[in-house]
Amino acid sequence: MRPMTNIYQPDLMEVLDVQQQTTDVKSVRVRFRDDARGDDFLFRVGQFGMFSLFGYGESTFNICSSSNWKDFVEFCFRRTGRVTEALWSLEKNDTIGFRGPYGNSYPMDKWIGKNLIFIGGGIAMPPLRCAIWYALENREQFGDITIVYGARRVQDLVFRQELDRWAEYDRVRVVPCVDPGGETPNWTGEVGFVPAVTERAQIPAGNAVALVIGPPVMIKFTLPVLAKMGLADRDIYTSLENRMKCGVGKCGRCNCGPVYVCKEGPVFTLEQLKSLPNEY
Amino acid sequence: MSQIISKPAIRRLVERWLRQGKRVIAPVQVRPNLVSYQPVRSPDQVLLEGFVRPLNSIKQVVFPRHEQLFQYRVRGKQIDLLPAPLPDVERIVLAARPCDAAALPILDHVFNWEFRDATYNRRRELTTVVTLACTEYDAHCFCTSVGSQPNDTRGSDALLLDLGDQTLEVRCVTDKGQSLFAGQTEASTRTAPTGPGPERRADLRRVGQQLEQAFERSEWAAWTNRCLGCGACAYGCPACHCFDMVDEGGPTCGARVRNWDACQFGQFTLHASGHNPRNAQSQRQRQRIYHKFHVYPNKFGELLCTGCGNCTRNCPVSLGVLPVLEAIQAEGAK
Repeated sequence: MRPMTNIYQPDLMEVLDVQQQTTDVKSVRVRFRDDARGDDFLFRVGQFGMFSLFGYGESTFNICSSSNWKDFVEFCFRRTGRVTEALWSLEKNDTIGFRGPYGNSYPMDKWIGKNLIFIGGGIAMPPLRCAIWYALENREQFGDITIVYGARRVQDLVFRQELDRWAEYDRVRVVPCVDPGGETPNWTGEVGFVPAVTERAQIPAGNAVALVIGPPVMIKFTLPVLAKMGLADRDIYTSLENRMKCGVGKCGRCNCGPVYVCKEGPVFTLEQLKSLPNEY
Repeated sequence: MSQIISKPAIRRLVERWLRQGKRVIAPVQVRPNLVSYQPVRSPDQVLLEGFVRPLNSIKQVVFPRHEQLFQYRVRGKQIDLLPAPLPDVERIVLAARPCDAAALPILDHVFNWEFRDATYNRRRELTTVVTLACTEYDAHCFCTSVGSQPNDTRGSDALLLDLGDQTLEVRCVTDKGQSLFAGQTEASTRTAPTGPGPERRADLRRVGQQLEQAFERSEWAAWTNRCLGCGACAYGCPACHCFDMVDEGGPTCGARVRNWDACQFGQFTLHASGHNPRNAQSQRQRQRIYHKFHVYPNKFGELLCTGCGNCTRNCPVSLGVLPVLEAIQAEGAK
């Protein structure tokens, strides 16, 4: 019998680049130390990985790079706990551990021919960004693309420089916003909360799907806006962020009622979420 | 025809297994009123009668409470990962209760659900399970309520049944069981009668449907109010398998380890943001019941419970799954 591999032992990845996004958010580009593993590595946008620093532990992050990018894998984190505090000191050439990709993904094939609406708040930009780049790199497959992205303050916007680059693409509209009081004198974006800004933006909702990721309160107030715009529950997607340890359906903590977010998620439609108990 | 073996002959076998370097795990009277599955050093430690069931379970034989997953060494920018050595000692679990053995096929589903757990499967291969049918029960036993019985052979390689006068009937269930007892038994015409088992208090195989309706019931707080959140129910359970993964050691060397965990702890599901989907103890109790009688059965077609009663037996406030399910069923009957 073929020996089983150790499903908990990560691959080693080399840090290529670290970007400080905000006062407490960084994004990191990494590459497999083993070239062959890197060549074989495939993932789909929306999937996640377990990223670790040896001696500190593992954390779960979305892979926020596009699946078309072959030279590196990117993840983004906010400095909040033991592992992310340690990751904060990462420098080029450092080594981290990676397991994955895990979970389901955004159904990009199913979205072909649709208008795409991306709505995010704060640290939820990374899981939107992988899908946004993927859509832009396959621009002809998709209709109009609208991106509503908000943060508390201008300096809290993650991947802020990329917002301008996305806006340069054909039939792409980017609607950045900050909470009232969070604007700077030269801020040209919207001021207001994401749900209200989404409503004001008058996004055409015909033939559209929406991917909405953000803090629970943002999602809660954005969903009625989307419903009012005419989006059906099956056309509204989100990505759940339940705590995980193993990522492979064994450690027993990420379930939301009957579904294991690590294996059957993290991507769900609102229609699916409504059939699940509120354990997220 | 049946096969029989005397208890002294079993003890001689234990002595031989130990001499051969095998690990023998059996119920041991640790002190008065405490029977526990333990590795034995001598055959006379093995209890073959006079106990209801140990307060722990045999899951630790295949799924240790604490184990290294791999080691890491850091020298400058160089990092080496050293795989944890695969277990290689053969283990024989002797006189396990059927409600313990029955949990092994349940755990098999979890540890092989798409991703196969290598050390778990290795330990499973190295383990032979010899069960001892029950003749004594206490108020917490409820195997008959989950569709099992005192001589259930699920998960057993061989089943022993007490015939009285220091003799056991041997029923080999698998090839492993056959080879363990090959040439060690005598043919006989005696067979052990099937006892009725503990009183059947409910049919919990179908409680899942009822649970589906009961998720949002406000009574959960009342049903589980006395829970202290200590997790004793999960640690003593033969089928509970939740674990935590953490790094132990320093920045230059150490290991990533896996430890038993329990869904009863507040931090179990705590998000980095501070949000907790199961913030109240009643939600965590509900999770444990749902996982066993609804979530797992829907995925794998059987209950995540063997009716051993250890959750209540070990509980400092006598909660556990049966009292809660009885409360739900009583509400349903109203």
